[in-house]
Amino acid sequence: MKKDKLKIKYTEKELADSFVFRNNLTQFQKEESTIQMRLQRKKMENLIHPNEALLFSLLQLKYQIEDYLENSNYDVERSFSYYLRTYLNFLNKKNKEFAKDIDIAETELSQILNQHRKPSEKLFIRLEIHSNKIIPAITWFKLSEKEKEHDILTNNSLRIREQNHVRNKLSFS
Amino acid sequence: MYIIDVKNNKKCAVKVKQIEEQDYKTLTKSRYYFNWKTEKENDVYKLVLDENILGLMSLVNDKGDKRIEISLLAVSKENRGKNKRFDRITGILIAFACRTAIKYYGIEACVSLVPKTRLKQYYIDQYQMTDAGWQVFLTGQSMLNILKKYEL
Repeated sequence: MKKDKLKIKYTEKELADSFVFRNNLTQFQKEESTIQMRLQRKKMENLIHPNEALLFSLLQLKYQIEDYLENSNYDVERSFSYYLRTYLNFLNKKNKEFAKDIDIAETELSQILNQHRKPSEKLFIRLEIHSNKIIPAITWFKLSEKEKEHDILTNNSLRIREQNHVRNKLSFS
Repeated sequence: MYIIDVKNNKKCAVKVKQIEEQDYKTLTKSRYYFNWKTEKENDVYKLVLDENILGLMSLVNDKGDKRIEISLLAVSKENRGKNKRFDRITGILIAFACRTAIKYYGIEACVSLVPKTRLKQYYIDQYQMTDAGWQVFLTGQSMLNILKKYEL
């Protein structure tokens, strides 16, 4: 169907509700449009409230975690502690201050951040409350579970160790 | 996120996913209006209800300007006009473009599109887009509003 047939079939509002059409700007128009856009954005940058900037940072973190969880690949760099550290950095908080915020010992927080301790359920919930529900507890939980899942799949030394605790192992021909 | 069945006002949960190579075989011009194969160099996303593709969107990531441009968008034929089956498809796709921009650029995120002149005011009214001459765009609070409305 040609565009003029669309115009007959649908109102302008219905077209805007259903399409974004390919732009046919000339090279000159494209350059002009980039300049116009930069000017407008510059004007709006001055209106940003610091609280709004923090909200955007938290949403950025949330979307990055969500997309990582969606991806079936495991990335050793993207650990629970990595994202928790990023959360602290966005808030510009020291460990001691943040530990106080969520009522845990500073050593506990430090152990979690250094991957010497697993995060608990209470931490997931407290993080959700601290972020005003921007990053839900379930997102932190799934992040922690992804690490656990990878560990269970790949921890051969644990398998060897645990063999000594199993008797009457089933055997099948 | 959900779309609304216009017949009974029922909410139906949907997902937005990156398009897969095998999808292109099903993207006919009669149902999705454009030739989507020409968009393969861009990031193309589909809005799906179960496995049924109800909308498509092609995004261009302008890293220099920290901006995502919606270069093409179409809802499926049965969801256009006064007899459409589902509502909110375009809104969700635009909100998803906002999500993508925030994921990459945080507070500097921007989503833009080049509207047909006669349709410009509709995008401005419907999605609180700002007029920048050739383009209209979303940033800051208007971006947050659209994410809230479409639950992303």
